[in-house]
Amino acid sequence: MSTLMTQARNRVPRFAEAAVERARLTVVPRRATRAPKVPFVALVSLLLVGGVVGLLLFNTSMQQASFVATELEATAATLNAKEQALQMQLDTLRDPQKVASRARKLGMVPAASPAFIRLSDGKILGNPTVADPADAMRIAPLPTQKPKNLRPDPVILELPPVKTAKKKADTTPADAGNGPAEGTKKQHTSAASGE
Amino acid sequence: MTQGRRPAPGRPRSTSRAPRKRSLRGASLLRLRVGFVLIAMVVSVFGARLFQLQGIDAQAYAAKAEANQATGLVTHTLPATRGSIVDRTGMPLAESVDGKMITADPTMTHDHAQEIAKVLAGRLDIDYFETLDKLRQTDTQFRYIARRVPAAQANDVMAELEARGLEGIATDPDPVRDYPAHDVAANLLGFLGTDGKPLAGFERLFNAMLDGADGSATYETGAGNRIPLGDNSVIPPQAGEDLMLTIDRDVQWYTQRVLRQAVQASGGESGAAVVMDSRTGEVLALADHPTFDANKPLVSPESDLGSRALYDVYEPGSVQKVLTAASLIDAGKVTPETEIVVPPELPRSDRVIHDYWDHGRLRLTLTGVIAKSSNIGTVLAADEFSPKELHSYLAGFGLGKKSGVGIPGEAAGLLPPWRDWSQLRQDTISFGQGVSVNALQMATAVNTIANGGVLIEPSLVKGSATTKKGKVVGSATTDARRVISEQAAQMTTEMMEAVTDPEEGTAPAAAIEGYRVAGKTGTAQRVGEDCGCYDGTFTVSFAGFAPADDPRFLVYVVVQDPKNGGGGGSIGGPAFHKIMTYLLQKYAVPPTGSAPPDTPLEW
Repeated sequence: MSTLMTQARNRVPRFAEAAVERARLTVVPRRATRAPKVPFVALVSLLLVGGVVGLLLFNTSMQQASFVATELEATAATLNAKEQALQMQLDTLRDPQKVASRARKLGMVPAASPAFIRLSDGKILGNPTVADPADAMRIAPLPTQKPKNLRPDPVILELPPVKTAKKKADTTPADAGNGPAEGTKKQHTSAASGE
Repeated sequence: MTQGRRPAPGRPRSTSRAPRKRSLRGASLLRLRVGFVLIAMVVSVFGARLFQLQGIDAQAYAAKAEANQATGLVTHTLPATRGSIVDRTGMPLAESVDGKMITADPTMTHDHAQEIAKVLAGRLDIDYFETLDKLRQTDTQFRYIARRVPAAQANDVMAELEARGLEGIATDPDPVRDYPAHDVAANLLGFLGTDGKPLAGFERLFNAMLDGADGSATYETGAGNRIPLGDNSVIPPQAGEDLMLTIDRDVQWYTQRVLRQAVQASGGESGAAVVMDSRTGEVLALADHPTFDANKPLVSPESDLGSRALYDVYEPGSVQKVLTAASLIDAGKVTPETEIVVPPELPRSDRVIHDYWDHGRLRLTLTGVIAKSSNIGTVLAADEFSPKELHSYLAGFGLGKKSGVGIPGEAAGLLPPWRDWSQLRQDTISFGQGVSVNALQMATAVNTIANGGVLIEPSLVKGSATTKKGKVVGSATTDARRVISEQAAQMTTEMMEAVTDPEEGTAPAAAIEGYRVAGKTGTAQRVGEDCGCYDGTFTVSFAGFAPADDPRFLVYVVVQDPKNGGGGGSIGGPAFHKIMTYLLQKYAVPPTGSAPPDTPLEW
């Protein structure tokens, strides 16, 4: 189709050809302002790579920190437990009962009467007296008593006087008296401990 | 298209345009299509995978996530630390420690039971054979091996088991409440049950304050480590507040031991002792015997788990004579020198009043009546009072009312209303029979005299604390009120000094070398639990303070039902002496150096 039109146009008589030729409008060619591509590409790839690597490093370091945190938490818990154990040990040593019983082992007793030295003039206030073992007091509890069913009443056997020993009994009354006396003694002691 | 590349001369540009456009459009279309297909393929792969994960395998993955507890969203409670209870110097009386329970899965421990039991029994306070039995059970997967083991100890055990490659033992949090001084102040502190709930004493009373609020932490984990930037939220636990008592641990310990010895030596049933700072009403020690070990409350009988000094009442006996005498002096009815003729016995209404010792007609001053603890003399002196007057004074001293220490359950005691008083009633009340008190109440009443006539409500909590019922108690909130004049208090004190007189008084054993000591003995008939009447048993007591001319401490010792025939002077006196000596020494109170008064006891 375009060939036909060209032919038709060519058949048209030409006048003022030069002027027409001059008047024909043409599109000014676009100026190819080609900016250098390399820096841009470099910049973008740098950003991309940098971002990715940065993110990766950041993530890794966070992960690393998390590991460290877990580890430190465990250490803190252990140390805390250890501190508490030591504190408990200290408390046990500070227990007044413990201190007192150790002082007791060293032979110490509470002072019988308080006395002081006034530092300003060296005067003695109160009547200092020497402590003696009588000032000691029992600090340990009494030993636990056995329950009643483990402490049977003493069995008292009343034996009829032995006839054949009549002569003997006459000669040694102390021996004959020994048996019953021991029995009553036993009874007494058990009654006393029962209180 | 070929023509486009061979343009006619003259119009080269215009003709070349259309064909190029078309070719461009064709190329981009192709690219688009190819791209679309590619994207569609990738997306459909994603879609298929999504469908596979969510639709087909979902159950399996969920199960897998659940099975692996170290991975996924984890919530665990952050237990709040229970507040400590400390004494006035900050020494711990009760404190919480991280603890663990050690449990076993017998199905796993069965084969190595001996080795495991050896490690466990060696490191923990448990029985080897019992443990062995537990580790060998076949019908269960869970057995407690030990409860409330301090965390450090539990960690050591686990480390050793792991080192030996023994499996099947696990730990779980199980907080420990430790009472480092065992029975010291256990009567006040109370204890916790096995589930960690407070069951008695201050642990229960101040639970709201001691008990913090548990927090929680929720976070995602992978292989045991927290996933950074994952979901996480932490509610921090709120630790409980500490409670500071006015108790001094050392004094409390010493008082408990002295009291124990006094009770056991006299064959008494029980006893109580109160040590008070005379000027502030702060209780330095409140001892009971028998008592219990707060670490092992279950091995003691239930009746010993409270404080008899607060919850039980008894008739105070002769110690009350000082209250009667102080009231009479304050009212201006008598002076320490008032002369009283004391007959051998005194018939009143249909009964006859006796003294505890036989005597003829005595000519005693009021000081002599107190020093020798004469019932008859006190009754005769109290005749000056109408029932209403005596009642109002005794009520002023706090009898028949709770002491104001703010402990719920404290016994109020009994002071009968004056309208119901017969003559005999007034007579017996004047020397301490027919009224009942608790030990702290009586100590507070006598302390009024030590504190120059001003009654200070006692306190057990230093500063202030809120009870579970919302009541604020403590040394910061105590009230004081004047009961008798300062002069009357001083006169009464001087009379009480005669009680510790080595020759004339009823309690020479209470005297302290170099110090002026005021006190009063009491030996009261006791109402038996079975018959509700005087059953021939006694309550013996001694109340005193020192130094008499500038009182710092009040000590009150009570022993119930002694069986050695001793009285207030011979049982309470030595105990008082020991405790007061210790206090004066510990708090560095030197003797005042003044001379005791020389009031005649007879005329």
